[in-house]
Amino acid sequence: MEACVAVEREVDKVLTKFGSINEHAGRTLRDVTNHIEALRKELSECPPDHELTSNQVMIMKQAMSKARETVQRLATDHRDLHSTVSKVGKAIDRNFVADFASTSRDDVFSSPDKVVLLNKVICQHFYRQGMLDIADELALEAGIDSENEKEPFTELNYILDCLKHRDLDPALEWAEKHRASLQKQNSSLEFKLHQLRFIGLIEKGSSCQNEAIQYARTYLSQFVHTHEKDIQMLMGMLLYLSNGVSRSPYAHLLQPSLWADIYDTFTKDACSLLGLSVESPLSVCVNAGCIALPALLNIKQVMQQRQVSGIWNGKDELPIEIDLGPEKRFHSVFACPILKQQSTEINPPMRLVCGHVISRDALNKLANSNKLKCPYCPMEQNPADARIIYF
Amino acid sequence: MADIKALEHPTLKVPYEILNKKFRAAQKQLDREVSHVQAAAIELEKGLFADKVGAGDISRLLGGMVEKLQVLKRKAEESICEELQAGYVCKRRLEHLKEHTSTSQWCRKRLDRMLVEYFLRKGYYNAASKLAQTSDLKDLTNIDVFTVSREVEKSLMDRETTKCLNWCHDNRSKLRKLHSTMEFNLRVQEFVELVKADRRLDAVRHARKYFSSYEEDQLPSIQHCMALLAFPSNTEIPAYKELLDEDRWLRLVEQFRQENYKLFQLASQSTFTVALQAGLSALKTPQCYGSYEQKNKSCPVCQDWLNLLADPLPFAHCSHSRLICHISGLPLNEHNQPMVLPNSYVYGQQSLLQMAADNNGQIICPRTKEIFPYQKAEKVFVM
Repeated sequence: MEACVAVEREVDKVLTKFGSINEHAGRTLRDVTNHIEALRKELSECPPDHELTSNQVMIMKQAMSKARETVQRLATDHRDLHSTVSKVGKAIDRNFVADFASTSRDDVFSSPDKVVLLNKVICQHFYRQGMLDIADELALEAGIDSENEKEPFTELNYILDCLKHRDLDPALEWAEKHRASLQKQNSSLEFKLHQLRFIGLIEKGSSCQNEAIQYARTYLSQFVHTHEKDIQMLMGMLLYLSNGVSRSPYAHLLQPSLWADIYDTFTKDACSLLGLSVESPLSVCVNAGCIALPALLNIKQVMQQRQVSGIWNGKDELPIEIDLGPEKRFHSVFACPILKQQSTEINPPMRLVCGHVISRDALNKLANSNKLKCPYCPMEQNPADARIIYF
Repeated sequence: MADIKALEHPTLKVPYEILNKKFRAAQKQLDREVSHVQAAAIELEKGLFADKVGAGDISRLLGGMVEKLQVLKRKAEESICEELQAGYVCKRRLEHLKEHTSTSQWCRKRLDRMLVEYFLRKGYYNAASKLAQTSDLKDLTNIDVFTVSREVEKSLMDRETTKCLNWCHDNRSKLRKLHSTMEFNLRVQEFVELVKADRRLDAVRHARKYFSSYEEDQLPSIQHCMALLAFPSNTEIPAYKELLDEDRWLRLVEQFRQENYKLFQLASQSTFTVALQAGLSALKTPQCYGSYEQKNKSCPVCQDWLNLLADPLPFAHCSHSRLICHISGLPLNEHNQPMVLPNSYVYGQQSLLQMAADNNGQIICPRTKEIFPYQKAEKVFVM
């Protein structure tokens, strides 16, 4: 934040100074112009063959020198603002990193096939966001074929759009079509959709009582074995139909959060059914990059200062560990607490009899013939009893 | 906040460069108009020194001066207004940056901003302007700078040099500071085109006009292209065939792009590719390149296309274990104790308890489909 504030301070100075010079220039130029205009008027009232008196000449000379001084001052004043302007540039350079690209390689995404791949990723990102026109435009300009990518997203986005407008029909239709696969992944999507529709009927008041009961009989009964509790609650709502459900213990079922929830449920279930990630992979990556980059730039700078930048080979592994937060961990990574190394197939994690886990290399180093003392607890054991585990 | 420091330099530097440019243009404009007023004043003073000073003459001269002053006033107002406008662009961007939070909305906007810039650099102008419009980013991206360059690029693609030469002229002092060879290369290209059209005499005239005031290191290139006069335009000699190559225009476009970036102090890579690289590396694990079972469909690096893109990049460094439950994706820690089944596969306690509750105390290993009672699961301690 200080970075922005520091630059803003300089920008504000520029704005006030230019504002005041604008005002000042306007005023002084107007004064000078008026003065000269008045002189001219005075002269024009004289007969055309009139000669100026020495007094008049004097006044003219004074007026001229004043005018020249004023305009010259204006130009100089404006020139003096240069330092104020350039201070903004300096503040930006001081507070922001100009060579942010120093940690990346520019050849990674530049070959033609990589450009195509990257454009496909971006296209897919926009289809996923529902910004079809932009994706189409990009596909056109970049000359890539994206029709195949579009299909699932067009349908999903249409359904989600309808859900936003509280229209359940397309979602229900989709859920019925994919019922078998949804059940396989324990999805309660279809039930939740019917539940919302039922609540919608309840909200209409006692006039729709019969309709609501009929609806429950037709559609909700099939979920009794999986959602017994929920259905009991829904039926409970019927008791308060005439007095108003909003003043009943079931008022929470009328919250708009249920709609937000169905939106999320649908996205999650549909994506996992189609083998897609819920979040756009591109935005996950770029956001991760925005977290990682400051740390990478810092370490690069430190390495340069210590003149060990040769260590940065940029090939195998990043030089430092970057914590992206728990929601951005997609794979289990086991690092041996003894050797501080990531496990590999050759050096897998081994669970000792006491339950502690170390890597096989560490185990071999610590073992003394057929005796091993766990480095974390007093237990002595036979190293042969340790076994490989898979996270 | 660190990400703003690291990534937003171009967001602010470009409008600053525009402000700076506007300042210099304004100064030039003011100086010119001031000198006009001065000249008028000097002329009038001269008139005053005459023996007989006629009122009619002076009145006329005064009228001329009023005119000049009015022009100065108008020009001054216009130029300062433009400077103020440029200043407000900086201010607006700063205000947007100050709103920075880690909310998904801000991040989404940032990604859109990055993509607009990436599109512009790649020359996908329609996509860029559409995206800027849809996401309301016009003030926050450097789209205007690129629309100017688009015109130049287009004209270069049409084998036209005029627009690019004008651009060189507009930015002469800065380009000289950058030791730009843009103008020289354009002149060479014009020469080559004349030879191609078999207007060799015109080519010689062109060379006399533009190559005579060459910089020291340009002599070999001049000699090279002058020798072209001796060959037919369908020559097969590689050195001269290369000069006649149509691809030279594409290279001019590329050179123009690069010099335009330098002019606005834009880095050679876009923030988008830089952030994407860093992100792919930070997420890349050996499992992303392992067997099918090891992949995770939520992991971006496991997606086909990104997987290929990330291939040449370094892996994330990891000196502390980061374990997640294979079933739920939740982190394994003291609140979600890792448990190993008899088949050596590890899962989180929460998922196993849930599964046991659903299955009469039985656990079905999702990876091997073996069935164990929950009691067979043993605790695992990871330091």
